Amino acid sequence: MSRKGKDNRIVLPIGPQHPSLKEPASFRITLEGEKVVNAVIGVGYNHRGLEKACESRNYVQDLYLIERVCGICSHTHSTAYCQGIEELAGLTIPRRAAYIRVIVAELERLHSHLLWLGVAAHEIGFDTLFMYTWRDREKVLDILAEVCGNRVNYGINTIGGVRRDVDESMLQDISKMADALEDQIKYYLDLAMTETTLSVRLAGVGKLSYDDALRFGVVGPVARSAGIADDIRVTEPYAAYDEVPVRPVTDTRADVLGRTVVRIKEMLESINIIRFCIRNIPDGDIAVKAPLRIPAGEVISRTEAPRGENIHYIRSNGTDKPDRVRVRAPSEANWRGVKHMLEGGYLADVPITIAAIDPCYSCTDRAIIVDSGSRTEVMDWQSLRQYSIDWYKKQGVDTASAKVSAKEYF
Amino acid sequence: MQAEQELVDRFCEKFGFLQNKIYVKRQKRIFTEFLAKEEFEQVLHYAHDELGFYRASHVVGTDEGDDLGFIYLLSNEDGIILALKEKAPKSDPVINSMTGIYPSLEQHERELVDLFGAVVEGLPEGPSYPLPDGWPKGSYPMRKDWDPKYFDKNTMTYNPPADDAKKEGGNK
Repeated sequence: MSRKGKDNRIVLPIGPQHPSLKEPASFRITLEGEKVVNAVIGVGYNHRGLEKACESRNYVQDLYLIERVCGICSHTHSTAYCQGIEELAGLTIPRRAAYIRVIVAELERLHSHLLWLGVAAHEIGFDTLFMYTWRDREKVLDILAEVCGNRVNYGINTIGGVRRDVDESMLQDISKMADALEDQIKYYLDLAMTETTLSVRLAGVGKLSYDDALRFGVVGPVARSAGIADDIRVTEPYAAYDEVPVRPVTDTRADVLGRTVVRIKEMLESINIIRFCIRNIPDGDIAVKAPLRIPAGEVISRTEAPRGENIHYIRSNGTDKPDRVRVRAPSEANWRGVKHMLEGGYLADVPITIAAIDPCYSCTDRAIIVDSGSRTEVMDWQSLRQYSIDWYKKQGVDTASAKVSAKEYF
Repeated sequence: MQAEQELVDRFCEKFGFLQNKIYVKRQKRIFTEFLAKEEFEQVLHYAHDELGFYRASHVVGTDEGDDLGFIYLLSNEDGIILALKEKAPKSDPVINSMTGIYPSLEQHERELVDLFGAVVEGLPEGPSYPLPDGWPKGSYPMRKDWDPKYFDKNTMTYNPPADDAKKEGGNK
């Protein structure tokens, strides 16, 4: 912290290890008293060179890289990538595959928004809500594990369709989960509107007006909470969204409370979409064969990620490797808006304002145990859970009485 | 695709040099060929001021051999994307910043400086993005001739074989 000049301004460096983010970003905040007068955001600490790596690998290998752009919304990236390649190669995916893509996309939106709601609650010290929402998020992750084989980095997409089919029992489980979750989400909506811990704390914080939202090019719930009815699922329907009714959720509050309400209502909308897909999913194949070499051309592919518009630019040169891949993830579009939101606000509102654009974290439920470099064992969800119970028992803590197995939970 | 074609016609009417250089690729996608700096800026201003392309989502940098390419992705209220392309020679890779019109482009243009070695005039002051401090000067990783195998992350130096180094102007 340093004092500068006659105007008594204080420059406060926050980060790169930042209290509201589990990923590094630096914020140089200039304060006048408690008011933020200037904010300089430094990002890029996690730049992994994925796009360069894509240029030296083939289209199938790149799919696995692209899936790992984000640990939370990996499906939206692989969807954008796959449909881009499919457009270049002139492939039409089977309708059943398109429906499965939509189901997974909406499950992803559900778990992402629940995760965000928990993080936001944590940032304002409302940890009970954080634990409620993360408990509920587990229901969605369990379903994703059942449908895709993994809780995150689902790997359901492939060029030409999807890798796994869904059966009747899976659809029933999704239905049950949706019913259970709907009541909870309605409760959260009621909470956001009536509970002063949320409604008063978040109202007027991190303001970004309609005009500023347009000027700074923000996307997703941040834009929709300022009244911009922009949703790629409606503007440019992809996968099966041309048949699935989608109602973009907007709000006019243009602050963190507005962003909260939009995300909670979007979850209800996602549940409606999932139910529609379960009722109307057609029979048939789940993938068509894709060529290894993709004809030369360029494509701009878009999807609506949980955080907003996701754009992939892909240029092919007729070989089995792309010439250029550029991923414009939604958070990239929202950083410029954050600077504006912070300026004029209070220091105490900095963490929740940053968190309100929903920066991503990553998580995983599978561990590979490598024993002395020779024996390897992949632990699944149940055995990992058992391992943790045994470990705690050794420490003298018996957690076995807390029965929360996936099936009993619904 | 009527709306897209009407937009293309208006561009062509306004700028004779755009004939055969702008086309509707598919629904909601209009692409241009690579344009020189002055032409590009005229078209971008017109798209923003007269045709309602209010949003700039991104700039994609590309390596075009002797040139650097910059693909500006603009969109209008109907969700039509205009991929407006500009190029500048690698020997003099100077372009003007478009952040005066589209503030949202600040970080994307900063990326062109770090990863492609573009010189973006008029870019607001701010931290570089995305390469770390201490990255070797004159080493631009998204250019095609940059090979990760010659990069030593422990010493943060880029050491291509002599021939390549000569070609790249002795990057180190």
